[in-house]
Amino acid sequence: MSPATPPKSSFLAALMGLPRNVWHSIFRNPLPSNDLERSSTSFTNFFLHIHPVKVHKNSLRPTYTFGLGLISFFLFVILIVTGILLMFYYVPSTTQAYDRMLDLRGSVAFGTLLRNMHRWSAHGMVAMVFLHLCRVFLTGSYKKPREFNWVVGVILFLLTLFMSFTGYLLPWDQLAFWAITVGTAIAGYAPIVGKDIQFLLMGGTSVGQEALLRFYVLHVAVLPAILTLMIAIHFWRIRKDGGLSRPEDADPKITLEPMESAGAPKASVLEPKKVYGFQGLVRGPLTKVGQVPDNTVFSWPNLFLAELFTFVVTLSAILILSLLFNAPLEEPVNALHPPNPAKAPWYFLGLQEMVSYSAFWGGIGVPTIFVLLLLGAPYLDRGPKGVGKWFSRDRLLANTIFITFVVANIIFVIIGTFFRGANWAFVSPW
Amino acid sequence: MRLALAIGTFFILVIHGVVFYNQFFHQWERNQHAYFDQARSLAKTDAERATLANRRPRIEQIVVSNFGETRVDRCTTCHIAADDPRFTTYAEPLKSHPYSAAMGDVQKNGKWERRHKFSEFGCTVCHDGQGRGLEPEYAHGADEYWPDPLLGYTTQAHWRKDFAPKLKGREYMQANCAQCHTDIAFPGTALVTKGRELFFGSNCYGCHRIEGLSDGTIGPDLSDVGKKWKLDYLWGRIADPKSILATSIMPRFNLKDEEIKALVVFLKSRKGRNFAETEIQRFKVKLTGGAELVQATIKPVQINAAEILKQGEKLVLDRACTACHKLGDRDGGIAPDLSQEGLIKDAAWIYDHFKNPKATMPDSIMPAFRFTDDEFKAMTAYLVTLKGAPVTASGEGIYKALCLRCHGEKGDGHGPIAEHLDPYPRDLTKDGFMNSKPEARLVSSVRNGVAGTSMPAWGKLLSEEQAKAVLGYIQTTFTKEPRRELKPRAVPEKNPVAMGKDSVARGEELFVNRCAGCHGKKGDGKGPNSLDILPKPRNLRNSFFVNSVDDKRLFESILYGVQGTAMPPWIDQVSNNDVGDLVNFIRSINQKEKGGQHAAPVQ
Amino acid sequence: MAVNLKRNSGEDSDGGKTSRRRMLGWLTGAGLFGSAGLSAVSNFVFIRPRATYGQPQRFSVGKPEDYPSGTRAILAARGICIVRDGARLAAISITCTHLGCTVGAADTGFACPCHGSRFDQDGNVTGGPAPRPLPWFQITLAPNGEIEVDKDIEVTPGSYLTL
Repeated sequence: MSPATPPKSSFLAALMGLPRNVWHSIFRNPLPSNDLERSSTSFTNFFLHIHPVKVHKNSLRPTYTFGLGLISFFLFVILIVTGILLMFYYVPSTTQAYDRMLDLRGSVAFGTLLRNMHRWSAHGMVAMVFLHLCRVFLTGSYKKPREFNWVVGVILFLLTLFMSFTGYLLPWDQLAFWAITVGTAIAGYAPIVGKDIQFLLMGGTSVGQEALLRFYVLHVAVLPAILTLMIAIHFWRIRKDGGLSRPEDADPKITLEPMESAGAPKASVLEPKKVYGFQGLVRGPLTKVGQVPDNTVFSWPNLFLAELFTFVVTLSAILILSLLFNAPLEEPVNALHPPNPAKAPWYFLGLQEMVSYSAFWGGIGVPTIFVLLLLGAPYLDRGPKGVGKWFSRDRLLANTIFITFVVANIIFVIIGTFFRGANWAFVSPW
Repeated sequence: MRLALAIGTFFILVIHGVVFYNQFFHQWERNQHAYFDQARSLAKTDAERATLANRRPRIEQIVVSNFGETRVDRCTTCHIAADDPRFTTYAEPLKSHPYSAAMGDVQKNGKWERRHKFSEFGCTVCHDGQGRGLEPEYAHGADEYWPDPLLGYTTQAHWRKDFAPKLKGREYMQANCAQCHTDIAFPGTALVTKGRELFFGSNCYGCHRIEGLSDGTIGPDLSDVGKKWKLDYLWGRIADPKSILATSIMPRFNLKDEEIKALVVFLKSRKGRNFAETEIQRFKVKLTGGAELVQATIKPVQINAAEILKQGEKLVLDRACTACHKLGDRDGGIAPDLSQEGLIKDAAWIYDHFKNPKATMPDSIMPAFRFTDDEFKAMTAYLVTLKGAPVTASGEGIYKALCLRCHGEKGDGHGPIAEHLDPYPRDLTKDGFMNSKPEARLVSSVRNGVAGTSMPAWGKLLSEEQAKAVLGYIQTTFTKEPRRELKPRAVPEKNPVAMGKDSVARGEELFVNRCAGCHGKKGDGKGPNSLDILPKPRNLRNSFFVNSVDDKRLFESILYGVQGTAMPPWIDQVSNNDVGDLVNFIRSINQKEKGGQHAAPVQ
Repeated sequence: MAVNLKRNSGEDSDGGKTSRRRMLGWLTGAGLFGSAGLSAVSNFVFIRPRATYGQPQRFSVGKPEDYPSGTRAILAARGICIVRDGARLAAISITCTHLGCTVGAADTGFACPCHGSRFDQDGNVTGGPAPRPLPWFQITLAPNGEIEVDKDIEVTPGSYLTL
């Protein structure tokens, strides 16, 4: 159709242009070829607009973040998708739950794969969220102005643990039953409210139909809703707190010298026709335009490709794991015949190990202190130095305390997993 | 970066493709296709062929809810020819289930008809296995976590290698037949019947409880053992008890493989409930204690006077006495040696002990077995003839032949069977005890035994000199300290306090305040501190023992303590009159008319 | 990554690089969208049960002798009516083709209690809102001598199994 000869019927034109118009109504930008379009792509697309238009190069350094937060998020997405699918076949009933597991394995198409993906993603998410927490702590990223986002992160970590814990019971096999029996018993050691929490969780005095139903509701409705909300807050705060933490953009010559004596800025440093995104309204170092070297790059394509790459790697890893290893499914529940030893889920084995030494200190004292320290870290450690650097010397004390707790817990988890045999006696795994 | 991304996405696409492709090709579909092809070639009419042409592979299932929880058996998805008599000669999985007159199948006009129709019974109710599984490994229960692998066909990889071959054979399925066919001598469940007879014949019932059959309390309750454990575990617990639980005190019975198999099948059939029974029937069985079944199972031996010894011997040897006791070269390693029984016990004692072991030995762990009176008498008659081999003169030889089994190689009381004896054998290495007792008393203990304990009276076997020789050996080898001159102790010959209500009441108060910590409030030796003490505090309700010692000895033990044990001297804290009250209290709880704890045989 | 970032700044300067980049982009897109498409299809495969939890569709209803000539036995639990006419056998659905109620036997054949559909002996509609006659299911004599009905396979009305 030549533009010189206008079409006789505008209806025909509308019909001819339909696909193109529909497409453009959805995707307002062409594939970007200049800076304006790159910015525009970022903030006109629903899924991309939570990103800034430009990101600091430091945020893209793989060795700074290792993409851990993003991996956690992608695992959460995989968990939601596989979880919803599994719900089609699951029945939270003590007489049917295990049979449904057998059916997932035996007669349902893709049943085994989906269950494996859900299981390994859940374990992976616990690990990744924890590593993400370590990363944020060890780079001092919880410091002002990100204190509250750190608190949200700690809550997310606890929610992830609880999420995984509630899901652990649902297959209703021996592994699940006794892990939850032990796990809820650990909760029962809390002073004053412990027994009530235990009773509330189990809906009775022992793990049974009520507990299964409660764990199911928590697992598929309550916790995912809270988790989603908290993740949204977590992401939103990242933007509002000025993007990911990073060291001061330090070219002391420029930042420390007064403007008058700085001389004529280089063209690469100050670009007069630069297009500014919304970051102009956002607090943080990005607003210091013209005084610092511009260390930012456009999100499209740099950030988005990196994110896509992270997603692809995460999904591949989960798929490979799910093809190679089957999620465990042990004997049907037999409440009279506990396996020896009965172990909690692996991430609680550190707790169980500590409980075997001291019920109060192992189950409540140490974990509470650890969580309180985590929550309080940004408010106790007010020194402005050492942000955005791994293992900064300025934060030696905080890092040492943190690493001590982490390493101790990891050691306890390893002991509990591999070195504990019947009657919780010390055994050699070899 | 972009290249890696492209490779990554391509990889994911490939995985998706592979997974997707795999979902549409199953072994069971190939089996069904093979069946359709074969059936088409066997078809006689065009209509039949057309019908077969219409059939597509799909998951076949039988849903049965008559037997406990609803069973979904998808076995016929692969074993699709199970009910097609034309396929009797084919190989599995396309083999038809055999017909068998023994299972009630009947032949009418040359055609077999099944007694147990698959559409009514399903498969797993007889065969076990995992009805919902569609892969052979899971469906057959070869997966180590499945509690019921195909009975007699599938063994799991982690089962003991030497047991696994013995656990195959269709006869194991009798355990499942017995879930409905509970008749006492049902011909189809011969092994269950044999196992039940062995359960009584080998005296398993003495230690184990099975609801409606027996009431033993020493071993675990076996009422639903078949639901809890797999074949290899049951076999292992019988054939080699310690291999599964190192602390097991279950004896190794002298059983042949065939007998173990019968016991395993019998135990596997104990699933806590039978499908054929109604609640009312169950209740009735509970009321009668299963007497009918027990009577039908236990076959008493008719004793005739002429052969009483032979029959007694046969009973003792056949009915597993040596699973615990030692007799000749058979040794159960749990209970005392019977080889010299005729010299150390008399017929009345043995007979009473048989009837109610606790009547003669208050803390004996020996169960009361269900023999007829005649059988008890025959066994008693046989046992009193046992004189053992003549003993040597040397102290060492005597110790090794007679004492070692309880007092141990090192004389420390930890003999091979010591842990099953109560009171625990005396630790002969404690010179405090050995040297605080006059030699006459030690000789008396050896020659007259210690009443109410497992220490027998060796008097008919050992002369005074021999007793002294063995004591000398003990003194030099174990106690090591030479005997010292005993200091005379101020102990009243007779209790100065007269027996009476007031005295007993005062004694009880004193006892609760001062003695109960070790001896227990009831005086049964099971006070809170008793767990940490060896030798254990004396059971003061052991009437045989208490009545065998005089007041003087009780006074001495209380006033001066018992050296080499945890019993301290009380002489600084209590007066002679207090001790008198205590002695009166101890005597009062062992008086015949009041009845000590175990004084009268329990009916 | 850092290397790549540098390259990005000099974008579109080199034609060969662009075409390679575009190709990789296409590959990535194909991989992602292909996987997504397969996943979407898989999801539908997944939620379509291969084995239902009710009674099986193919079942045995006993021996021919159980149904003397002239029998019209309604097996409500199975949802069929076994019709025996001399040496001929048929299985007719008793699920109304209108809205799925279970029809009952009537003098003239079947009658639906819900909306008054009427069917004759062979299941043909004689009145009421039912749009189609009652379907007939495949009925065969299994090798073990029992009658087998397969509700997954419909046959044309009037096709009997002749013993």
